[in-house]
Amino acid sequence: MLQHGALLERLLAGSFICQITDEDGFRHLSNEQTQQDINHYLRPLNRRLVCNDDNSVYFLAYHELNKTAREHLSSQFTLTAQSLLPLLEWLQLVQETLGRDSALTAGDTIKLQEFVLRTEDNQSLRQRLNQLAADRFFNSQSDALDNQVKLIFRRLKEHGYLLQPHTDRQYYIVTGKIDHLIDVIRFIRDEEHLPVEDTPMQDELI
Amino acid sequence: MAAFDSKTGSNLFSIGSERLALLGKHHKALMQGYLDGFVDETAFSDIALKKLINARILWRPDEQQPLALRPLVSELIASMVADENRRQINADVAEKLEQIRNRVQAYRDSQFKGDYSVAELQLQRLTEHVHDLSGQFEEAIDSLWHRLNSDFGFVSSLDDKIRENERAQKQLRRLLDGLDLLDFTELIELAEGNSHLRKLLVSQLQSQLSSHHSSLLEVQKRLIELLAKFRQQQSRSMLIANMAAFLRQHPKYHPADYANRSEVPNLLNQAVAIVPQAAIALDRSSERQLLAELVLSLPRSVNSSLPDQHSASFAAPFVDDAVAARQQALQLDVENFYLRVIDHGSSLSALDYLAQQQLAWDGEIWLYQIIAEYQALPVDEKQMFVMLRDEAPASAMNSLLLIQDISISLQAA
Repeated sequence: MLQHGALLERLLAGSFICQITDEDGFRHLSNEQTQQDINHYLRPLNRRLVCNDDNSVYFLAYHELNKTAREHLSSQFTLTAQSLLPLLEWLQLVQETLGRDSALTAGDTIKLQEFVLRTEDNQSLRQRLNQLAADRFFNSQSDALDNQVKLIFRRLKEHGYLLQPHTDRQYYIVTGKIDHLIDVIRFIRDEEHLPVEDTPMQDELI
Repeated sequence: MAAFDSKTGSNLFSIGSERLALLGKHHKALMQGYLDGFVDETAFSDIALKKLINARILWRPDEQQPLALRPLVSELIASMVADENRRQINADVAEKLEQIRNRVQAYRDSQFKGDYSVAELQLQRLTEHVHDLSGQFEEAIDSLWHRLNSDFGFVSSLDDKIRENERAQKQLRRLLDGLDLLDFTELIELAEGNSHLRKLLVSQLQSQLSSHHSSLLEVQKRLIELLAKFRQQQSRSMLIANMAAFLRQHPKYHPADYANRSEVPNLLNQAVAIVPQAAIALDRSSERQLLAELVLSLPRSVNSSLPDQHSASFAAPFVDDAVAARQQALQLDVENFYLRVIDHGSSLSALDYLAQQQLAWDGEIWLYQIIAEYQALPVDEKQMFVMLRDEAPASAMNSLLLIQDISISLQAA
């Protein structure tokens, strides 16, 4: 367990471990023996290691769902549900602003300056960014585009969706936590039978 | 016969080189025609146009249509510049195979007749056909890899990429089908008894084709993986767009309370953070050294050293033995004074006592020490004494009270 001390600490602190945030840690966690060791170690702490459907990101879950655990999960899920729309809108906005042909995935790089430059000259993007920044999730009080963008990216970094490799350089890498978000959305959609399609029309396929 | 051949040969040579030169002469206009899909006729003189049409470089697909490059010329350019939008893959193996069979037959016939120069020529053609066949696969594989490695970057939208990927997979299947048409037992029979043919048709072709076959399978695997990735991206984009639209339309929407279901899905089971904390422990002597170093390395608050001021001498610590002894003597006398108060029972003036006992202390210092001693008493003992200050204003104009004397008495219990 000793060699995984730092990794355990990150997991316990609530970090999501993916290939982007911690390549070595992620590789260790992919090993079944290590998973067992870690779960054994975490048992008295009422924690266990889990991953998303694609095994692309690991995090800690409660082992036993006692009352406090459920209370925490309940309030956390409320927050997640509230953050869905702002996060989805951000994903769309980045995709459209940077002219990408597909949604952001783990490992994609976003240059803040490029994002600002492209938003600056486009009234409708500017408008949408304004609204997004004012959303409770980001809660920006500023009217200046630069500040709004910086705040949005900083919040996403705090939430673990983005990684900033150099604190003094304004570029960010999307982490595997975004996969988790997509999985959560897909789960809610399936569970509640929401009329939200994610496959192209049948005739398009043929 | 040989003379006839060399005549047509030289004829072919002059026409061919003349027409190839045409391509070079008009390269810019022709390349523009390749990009635009039609040729700007004003860029050429009438004679040049006629020559280009006769050379089968340009043609008019329809009366109403402008002149355009012949498909074969376009294909040549596409292959030269690896333009995947226009590059064609020729998967027709049957025709090539037929040609190879015919050439082998012709070669054998002329050998049988003893016409060795013709046989040589036929063997030359046969070699070309075999190389063509191999080259055809090579070109196709090159094109497929090129498209794969650029992630189909030559089309912009994801939908187009998916369509291009599917098209590439169909081409690949045709190529694999074409490879299946090649029957090596037939080729071995064709080459029977002739070492030239054996080398050409069996050992050389076979090793080339088997390497093409494994390349194609590798490309196929990668294409399928890439298609799966494209589909995943597509479905993710759609999910994001549609879910965002749904949430915008239903601002009051709340998902169910999954946290309180009997089975909480792993995805939503995110434990609260535990941040391990630790403090310095002194129980291990082996770590003392390290801890001491840590303490030493702590940043110290820098005291701005003030220049020595003599006016502050009263606050100077009593380091002198003589001074310390005087201080102790003073304290002892004050204690005796308090004991006298207890014995005496009534109010006792401090200055009277000083005079009475003929003590050598300065009055002010005496009073100061008595007040200090009184203040230093524990609360319950302090209550036993009553201190009366004999005070007077400093002057008529100044209401500052100066202490003249102090009387201490025992509290009436």
